[in-house]
Amino acid sequence: MDIRLAGVTKVFEPDIVALEDVYLSIDQGEFVYLVGTTGSGKTTLLRLISREYLPTRGQITVGDVNLRKIGRNRLSFYRRDVGVVFQDYKLLPNLTVFENVAFVLEAMGIPSRIVQNRANEVIDQVGLWRRRFLKPPQLSGGEQQRVAIARAMANSPSVFLADEPTGNLDVRTSEEIMRLLLSINAAGTTVLVATHDQYLVDAYRQRLVELHNGRLKRDEKRGRYFFDGEL
Amino acid sequence: MASFKYALRDTARLIFRHWGLSVLTLITAASVLYILGFTALFSLNVRHVVSRIEGGLVVQVYMKKDEKPGVVLEAVKENPTVRSVRAISPEEALDRLRAKLGNQARAVTLIGENPLPWSVEIQVHRVEHITPLVRDLVVFPAVEEVIYSGRLVERLSAISRASSTVSGGILIMAVVISAMVIFNTIRIAIYSRKEEIEVMLLIGATRTYISLPFVFQGMFLGAGGALLAAAGLWGTYSSAVNAVRSALAFLDIIEGGHILYRFFLLLFATGATMGWMCSWLAVNRFTSRAMRPR
Repeated sequence: MDIRLAGVTKVFEPDIVALEDVYLSIDQGEFVYLVGTTGSGKTTLLRLISREYLPTRGQITVGDVNLRKIGRNRLSFYRRDVGVVFQDYKLLPNLTVFENVAFVLEAMGIPSRIVQNRANEVIDQVGLWRRRFLKPPQLSGGEQQRVAIARAMANSPSVFLADEPTGNLDVRTSEEIMRLLLSINAAGTTVLVATHDQYLVDAYRQRLVELHNGRLKRDEKRGRYFFDGEL
Repeated sequence: MASFKYALRDTARLIFRHWGLSVLTLITAASVLYILGFTALFSLNVRHVVSRIEGGLVVQVYMKKDEKPGVVLEAVKENPTVRSVRAISPEEALDRLRAKLGNQARAVTLIGENPLPWSVEIQVHRVEHITPLVRDLVVFPAVEEVIYSGRLVERLSAISRASSTVSGGILIMAVVISAMVIFNTIRIAIYSRKEEIEVMLLIGATRTYISLPFVFQGMFLGAGGALLAAAGLWGTYSSAVNAVRSALAFLDIIEGGHILYRFFLLLFATGATMGWMCSWLAVNRFTSRAMRPR
């Protein structure tokens, strides 16, 4: 699914401008890095796309869905098509790795046999097969991140949003996560990654969108983390 | 089907996760529904007794000597509160007197000419219809006297009205208390899984899917409380029936049969419906807020 933002502004009460007049167009199957300093509006942008937030002004369309007009019932079905990896993972600590992944599929009313097969398949893909019966507190940060990715990709979404997926991870684990995200993208999924990780952005160069104080500062096809003046 | 299975499994999980609270809610709902059932049964019995007595109540209108009851019959025929009306001739009245006197019936022949007047026996639908009817009848010049069980009638009416009012009040109170207890229990269950529900909403679970386990939990608590209350009422009522039968055999109270089964079924349905509505309200309020974009 493609993503279109037209003149999007988001103001939080009382008058904190998180995003201002952002125009952005992401085609289906694209991989986009969203970079910028803390408070530049990266997370707000992702949350607008997952429709946790509603823009104060402007329009966001994902595929043929206008997020301003979407009803509550349709929203559930929209969100099934948008996999999100949250900055704080949002894993359920009292469920095992398997249960954390399976519960997304169960919530969609998928028969238990299919749930089992699919959950095992994605857990294997993220390399956590041996740890599938452990609970999140028993896992390292990188492993928890991979569970979050497995959960987001379980129902094969068309759009994949990841908020700081490699934050606080060592280089090797970050590279593993990155390869995972690239493999998801290779299957035709539109991937949008908000990151601070300069090393990864430069090592795996993709389209780069930079935000600064809520405004779109830069949009490069295969950009580097720091602007080198060759637009 | 998968969602239904999940909902049932999750309901059990919810109930056992807060088992202390579940037991407390069950006991509270059972106690309140017991009081509700007891009051309703009492009220039903008062009505039953009143209606039986009502069935036997007769207003007797005695005509003046040589007056025919035509004018009274004509007047009450149009009255919708009158159930039945019958004119008693002096001859029939004399026969009744003879039958009543039994061995001393021969004494009647000593009177010579029949001194008894024409009279009219009137039965009404409800106790409270008697007093206005009597007020209408005494004004006829042809009427000598109207006899009815005035004080009994008024007392029965008052008891019937009071029991209906009291049971109505208790019914409202009981429903409100049980509803609040169940509502708060479900709310606590929801807040204990707040994070989980928020994640579920973010990954695309429908509100129905999220609500089902909580709704089932509410129904279980409501219906379970009603079942416990029904069992308690069954025991209490059976003892009460035996006690009344031995001490006040003339009192005709409701015993067993269809009415009681229907009553317990109604109590069960009330508990389940209340549980369903309260839990649906609680979970719907939470999910609506959680889904509202900021």
